Formats: sequence, C-alpha cells, structure tokens
Amino acid sequence: MLKYILLSAAMFAIGAYGALARRNLLIILMSIEVMLNGANIALVAFARQHAAVEVPGHVFVLMVMAVAAAEVGIGLALIIALFRTRRTVDTTDLTEPQG
Amino acid sequence: MKALFEDLAADPVFCVCALVALAGALTVVTRRNPVYSALGLMAAFVSFAVIFVKLSATFLAAIHVLVYTGAILVLFLFVIMLLNLQEKELGREAGRGAKLAAGLLAIALCGLIGWAAFSEKALHEPMPGILDARLEPKGDVPAISVSAKADPAGDTADWGGVRHVGMAIFTKWAFPFELVSALVVVAILGAVMLAKKKLPPGP
Repeated sequence: MLKYILLSAAMFAIGAYGALARRNLLIILMSIEVMLNGANIALVAFARQHAAVEVPGHVFVLMVMAVAAAEVGIGLALIIALFRTRRTVDTTDLTEPQG
Repeated sequence: MKALFEDLAADPVFCVCALVALAGALTVVTRRNPVYSALGLMAAFVSFAVIFVKLSATFLAAIHVLVYTGAILVLFLFVIMLLNLQEKELGREAGRGAKLAAGLLAIALCGLIGWAAFSEKALHEPMPGILDARLEPKGDVPAISVSAKADPAGDTADWGGVRHVGMAIFTKWAFPFELVSALVVVAILGAVMLAKKKLPPGP
C-alpha cells in the first residue's frame, strides 16, 4: 500500500514541477495530466485497500478521466487559437491582455 | 523502511512499472521538444494501466489505455503535428533560478506526502484479500456486495471488473455520471467554438 502512495506522490510532484518550471503550454498541459494520473493511482490503491462492497474510488477515477479529457480538449483548442494569432506557445509571451 | 524494501523486492512488476512511469514523467517535464514529452507520457500511461491491473482494477486499466493513450495522447500528438513548431516558436526556457525553486518545491511536496504516508500506521498493513473483505462486514458496510447481488454465484474475481463498476455507476452514482456527460458536451461545444477557423467573408 505504502509503495503506491509513494509512487503517487512522486508522480504528482514531477507533474507539479513541470507545470511550474516549464513555459511551453503543451508541456504544461501534459504535466497536469501527469498530476491527475498520480492522484488516480492513490484513489485506486485506497479503493483496493478498503476492498469493500462498493468501489467509489473507481467511480471517482472515471470522473477524473472524463474531466481530464474535457480539459485537454479545451486546452488544446485554446492553444491552437492562441498559436494562430500569436505564433507562439510560450507563456511569457502571452502576458498582455490584447494582441 | 525495511518492510517497504521487502515489499518492493517481492513485487518486481510494480518496481518495473514504477520506474518506467517515473522515467516517462521525468521525460515529460525535461524535454524541450513536445514530441518526446508525449512519448514519455505514453510510457507513463501504459505502465499506469499495468499498475491498475495489479490493484484488481481491470475495467479501469482498459479504460485508462483507451481514454488516455488512445484519445488524449493522440490528441496531443495531433496538435503537435498541426502546430508544427519551429525552434523559435517553442519559446525560451525558464531561468535556472525558477527551475531550482520549482524543483525544491516539488521535492518538498513529495517529501511531505511521503512523510505523512510513512507516519500513517494503516498504510503499512498489507492489502487485504478481496475474498476476506467481502465475506466479513466492516463497520456499517453490509456483507453482500454489489457484484454478488448481480451474480448469485458471487464470483469474487469480478471485483473491480466491468459488472462491479458498472453497477456502481448506474445505480448509486448515476447522477454524477450524468453531470459528467453534461460537462463533456459543454467541453465539446467550447472546443469547437474556440478552434473554429474564421473564414473570410464570401463575395
């Protein structure tokens, strides 16, 4: 059990580093996916640890997957729209409200 | 600590999957070219699916491969190819100081969660067998399981399978499930609106 939680913490920390230290919008979005996956591992591990009648952990992971899919769809659409007008995916170039 | 290493030594599949997942995640956050990041993400996703199978979450493992590797990652690769980023369009990297600060913050985060997990006694116990957890009622949880009701024979191998998770989703969690479908529809509409190319006005 402990090993799954440690792996989950490590994945979440790596994803947090990527979201903080990178400036490429695509990689920031991928880092967020890594963070969500780290949380999923913990949810499934706890569901298995308390292998009771129901599996709310599994249901929760399915919700997380749906939200992640929606988030990626919106995020990539935003990136495409931004790239069309600004020709960049660097967050530091996107600080002004108007182009 | 010793028990953790013994646990890891007794579980080579988990060790391999965890190493691949960590290496993939590190590839995601360190590569400059997003294509390599996407490939690292793929390695991490596939090893996560194996870990899900190890945790008896067979349905989630299948869905994980389908949704993450099959849909999300392909979408990422599709957008990377669509943008066809040149070197100067990738932008500048963050400075050394910012990376160091973010790295220290991430290590502190990992250490904090790890410390909390180590100090929690319940996490050091080995995982219970699924059969045992089923037969003995725990607290206010009755002994009859969702899948045992659906299947009078009560095959315990179905824990975390399609029937088990499906029964949970479409009975107790039906309303949240419908809300998620509304969310996905809104996301589709938003994505179409955002990415729609503005055509020049006709003659």
